[in-house]
Amino acid sequence: MSAEAAVPTGGHFSLAGLVKPLLQPLIAVAIAVVVGGLLVLSLGENPFEIYWLLISGSLVGWPNFLVTLQMMSPLLFTGLAVAISFRAGLWNIGAEGQMIIGALFAGIAGFAVDLPTFLHIPFCLAAAFLGGLLWALIPAVLRVWLNVNEIVVCLMMNPIALLFSGYVSTHLLKAPGPTNKLPDIAETAVLPTFSLYSQVNAGFIIGLALCLLFAAINGWTKKGFEWKIMGLAPRFAYYGGIKVPLHAVVVMMISGGIAGLGGAEQVLGEYRAFYDNFSPGYGFDGIAVAMLANFNPIGVVLAAFLFGALNGGSAVLQMMTGLSKYLVQVLQFIIVLILAAQFTWGWLRSRKNAITAQEDRLEPETEES
Amino acid sequence: MDSDIAFSAVRISTPLIFAAMGGLLTYQAGMLNIALDGFMIVAAFAAIAVAYVTGSLGIALLAGVFFSVVMAALLALFNLRFRAHIFIAGIAVTFLAYGLTALLLKGLLGEDGVFSANTIPTFSTIEIPLIKDIPWIGRVLSGHTILVYLAYLSVPVVAWFLYRTRWGLRVRVVGEAEDAALAAGVNVERIKLQTMLLSGVFCGLAGAYLSLGYVSLFANKMTNERGLIALAAIFFAKGAPFPTALVALLFGTATALSVRLPQMTGAAPQLLQLIPYVVTVLALVVVGIRNARSRSRHGAWRFDVQ
Amino acid sequence: MSASDVVEITGVVKRFGDFTAIHDASLTVRKGEVHAIVGENGAGKSTLMNILYGLLHRDAGEVKLFQESVNFSGPAEAIAAGVGMVHQHFKLAPTFTVADNIILGSEPMRSLGRLDRERAIRETGEISKRYGLDLDPRAIISSLAVGLRQRVEILKALYREAQVLILDEPTAVLTPQETRELFATIRTLAENGHSIIFITHKLREVLAVSDRISVMRQGRIVATLDNKDVTAQEIASLMVGRTVLLRVNKSKAKASDEALLRVDGLTARGERGETAVDDLSLTVRSGEIVGLAGVQGNGQDELVECIAGLRRQVSGTIDICGRRAAADPRANRAAGLAYIPADRGGVGLSLDSAIWENLTVGHVEEFGRGPMLAIRAARQRAGSLIQSFDIRGAELDKRAGSLSGGNQQKVQVARELTRDARLVLAEQPSQGVDIGAIESIHRILVEMRDAGRAVFVISADLDEIFSLSDRILVIYRGRIVADLLTEETDAETVGRYMGGLDEPAPPDQHKPDTGSGDEASAHVR
Repeated sequence: MSAEAAVPTGGHFSLAGLVKPLLQPLIAVAIAVVVGGLLVLSLGENPFEIYWLLISGSLVGWPNFLVTLQMMSPLLFTGLAVAISFRAGLWNIGAEGQMIIGALFAGIAGFAVDLPTFLHIPFCLAAAFLGGLLWALIPAVLRVWLNVNEIVVCLMMNPIALLFSGYVSTHLLKAPGPTNKLPDIAETAVLPTFSLYSQVNAGFIIGLALCLLFAAINGWTKKGFEWKIMGLAPRFAYYGGIKVPLHAVVVMMISGGIAGLGGAEQVLGEYRAFYDNFSPGYGFDGIAVAMLANFNPIGVVLAAFLFGALNGGSAVLQMMTGLSKYLVQVLQFIIVLILAAQFTWGWLRSRKNAITAQEDRLEPETEES
Repeated sequence: MDSDIAFSAVRISTPLIFAAMGGLLTYQAGMLNIALDGFMIVAAFAAIAVAYVTGSLGIALLAGVFFSVVMAALLALFNLRFRAHIFIAGIAVTFLAYGLTALLLKGLLGEDGVFSANTIPTFSTIEIPLIKDIPWIGRVLSGHTILVYLAYLSVPVVAWFLYRTRWGLRVRVVGEAEDAALAAGVNVERIKLQTMLLSGVFCGLAGAYLSLGYVSLFANKMTNERGLIALAAIFFAKGAPFPTALVALLFGTATALSVRLPQMTGAAPQLLQLIPYVVTVLALVVVGIRNARSRSRHGAWRFDVQ
Repeated sequence: MSASDVVEITGVVKRFGDFTAIHDASLTVRKGEVHAIVGENGAGKSTLMNILYGLLHRDAGEVKLFQESVNFSGPAEAIAAGVGMVHQHFKLAPTFTVADNIILGSEPMRSLGRLDRERAIRETGEISKRYGLDLDPRAIISSLAVGLRQRVEILKALYREAQVLILDEPTAVLTPQETRELFATIRTLAENGHSIIFITHKLREVLAVSDRISVMRQGRIVATLDNKDVTAQEIASLMVGRTVLLRVNKSKAKASDEALLRVDGLTARGERGETAVDDLSLTVRSGEIVGLAGVQGNGQDELVECIAGLRRQVSGTIDICGRRAAADPRANRAAGLAYIPADRGGVGLSLDSAIWENLTVGHVEEFGRGPMLAIRAARQRAGSLIQSFDIRGAELDKRAGSLSGGNQQKVQVARELTRDARLVLAEQPSQGVDIGAIESIHRILVEMRDAGRAVFVISADLDEIFSLSDRILVIYRGRIVADLLTEETDAETVGRYMGGLDEPAPPDQHKPDTGSGDEASAHVR
């Protein structure tokens, strides 16, 4: 057979291949920006000015940019955690709780143990990973062995984590003083920061590295391949020899562990102690990041950067205008809502496919006699 | 029990009961609505803002319910019409609501985080004749505001609608066997939409009670996961109205104790606040074990959850 | 048309995309008659009835009900017009009472939107007595046996005053005793002036209960006959008569003695907990194609799932290429199983995944380089499979769901048959596949046989069974009731085994079979 007739195998890196995955997220962002703009307008502000403030407040100038990186750091972890689980068909919406427990473990390991720096930081990170992992293990095991919906369990595990860590930090191990926190971590456990302008720290590098690592795992390894198949079609995956229940538990544990590392970044890098109720909802923002990233780890970096920038810029918004920083949250979850809907993307596929899919559903049923 | 604590348990449980009744209707129709908190926060904000502007509690209440129903309609639109996953859409609606109310708090009322004003009217308390004279019970049950009584009265009303009317039968069948309802010519989508909107109505009352009845202020995220606790009660009682209300009352009592006990004993409030969530997870485990036992070991392999 | 015709279907056509399910079908049903519609699987019986019931829309033709032309947009309209349908899979709410299920959708009311429960219970009790269907209106559905649940479905239709009642394979789930009771009910209904349309492919039932019989074949109604003028042989011949001949050029099988699939005393349960496979044993040897014929729902699905490892058997053993199989697809595949499932969308493919990924699942270990996956190699192989199996319209990165049914099937076949597996399990290999693709799939299966593999084909299509198999097994009620060499048998004989006609101890009266299978086949050809 001639070379021309050969099936194209190199479609991998074509322009269309690069643009297409960006199309859905871009449309969702565009819709959110328009809706948000109307909202801003209705509150008597000029949307263009507001958006410019958001952008300049986060990207223009080195200090602003560093704040953006700082705001982006926790989202790298929680976004990646959610993305890994969603991609494998497991709805881990418990990243918030897993991050809190990870932070708690890191906070305890940071002050209670005496180790040289080169051991102490890895020890704290391992503790955080373990904490998040254990917290995710509960919904995972219930899902796989008892067929209990992991979403509902995750939903309950979030406040349990918050209240439990609150109990520890206000009662059991409370640091002396008026603040509800654990004692400060030892100097040996502090993740080094890069600059005076913001608290961006080595955790950012770890988060970035994890995203790259999981991009490689997803794209190049057997596990990554199997997780993807199992997320889209679990019965097919099982039939094809993939150990779906085992992988489900493993994926949930990894996801929880990474969320836990996000907690470590906060405690070891930014706050240098575990504070009660420290998270403004990074775990839930992670859902927005993962959805916008379409569960792709590289996309997580981009989406975390976008939301980090918006969050960074929103502080300026709060100071200089009559609007609050929560405009960003509104934009984020409009994006999630739009991406969750199935309708938007129908026109991207050809109509013909939609029709065949419909018949595939009808035909076996009507012919089943 | 101290009658003060019991009295405040009745008050604290009021929004839980409203929200639970709302969530229960969608639960019975086969939809797990996790956006109860989102509906409530919008209602709480709308109610206090309108009360502040108009000075009328009645209009404020209507506004709370209306905007809560709007959020419910948004969730219904995305779930029923655009086929968005109900949990993801529910989370999005909830956090959208948190963000939106916080944004409007600053944008409309010019406050950051918390809003209150002396001019906001309050509900007057109502003494129930006869009952108010019974020792202990009178002090617990009497002297509440209208919304508190409404919440507890809504339980038998919801039960009556669910079990005595045609609509209720259809709701329950839709929840249990959608194909049976479809085959019998029931408009399944409409039933689901109706329960979702009613969910909005109840959460509207819950939210308005929070900002105008329970306290007289609005704070960001002031629902404080009450929607989740209501959901826990629904789960625990499998959606039956009276048991759900009872569980909600117990959870409310635990919360009331978590406010009062530490003052008296120095115990950690968090441990009592944990109860609803831990109990729900344990209940899920028990149900899971029971289902796993009854499920045939010889069935075809599946990995989906109900 | 006579005044007693309550249903008149003329020239109805139904297409699904390129596939025409119903060609120009015409049918009349009279008042008070039991009208059986028989035909093989896929002949279009259910499709035609779903059109009458408003579940599907016709592409051409006319449907008249009580002399009036109708075009239902949904079942609700059909119900209002007096048509009731009892589906093969019951549509009941299990934790509700009989009365609740019956009244649902047309509830008796009191003031304030209240249900009139007493009236519901009284009325459902009354109609159940009137038709001799003994049912407690207060009983909970989940506590009832299957036969009683079916009565609830029938009562649901009667409560809505259905004049025309469609029963889709009503006996598929019934015991012989329940079947007898159902037939008595059907006769009572007919005597009361109801018209019953009875879909089945069990010949004995057709003769036992119907007044007239319409035979469907490949989307056409080929004959409508009076029960008294016809024999089971004649119906069987009409059902399986051929318009398209599928023939595969193949040499005689050179089966070895090596059993690559050995099923011994297998018992398995179906989804409702019933015994679906009943102490079944069979063997498929290297170098032969064995066809499993049978009416759908006689345990084929459960048997296949057990062999594939997707279902855990209750007892009995399965050996694949000499290794004991477990309820684990991974282990069974490693033992040497290649499985082409009938459920392409649910089991055999991930429709939302790229085609190269669909072609790579099950071959992951081949492309494993330690923990890594050799994606370039996997894509290259997928590309060459697309060419060698002639998968039309396929590109590596296109969704599998974008392919036509036949080409989806080729993806499955290409993936499974290029595995180093000596046992090939092909379930409904030509379902929803166009003729051209059927031929190439059949050719591949024969090549597999000639290469010394064992091929086990499960098909509801007798044509396919005959054109492919060297040996034919017939499954009926979870048991193998016949083991025949293809060259020594014919479609009518197999058809009779499939219908349970040659089973001892018939559960109901039927006409004695006249003539042998040979005569009947001469009658057709």
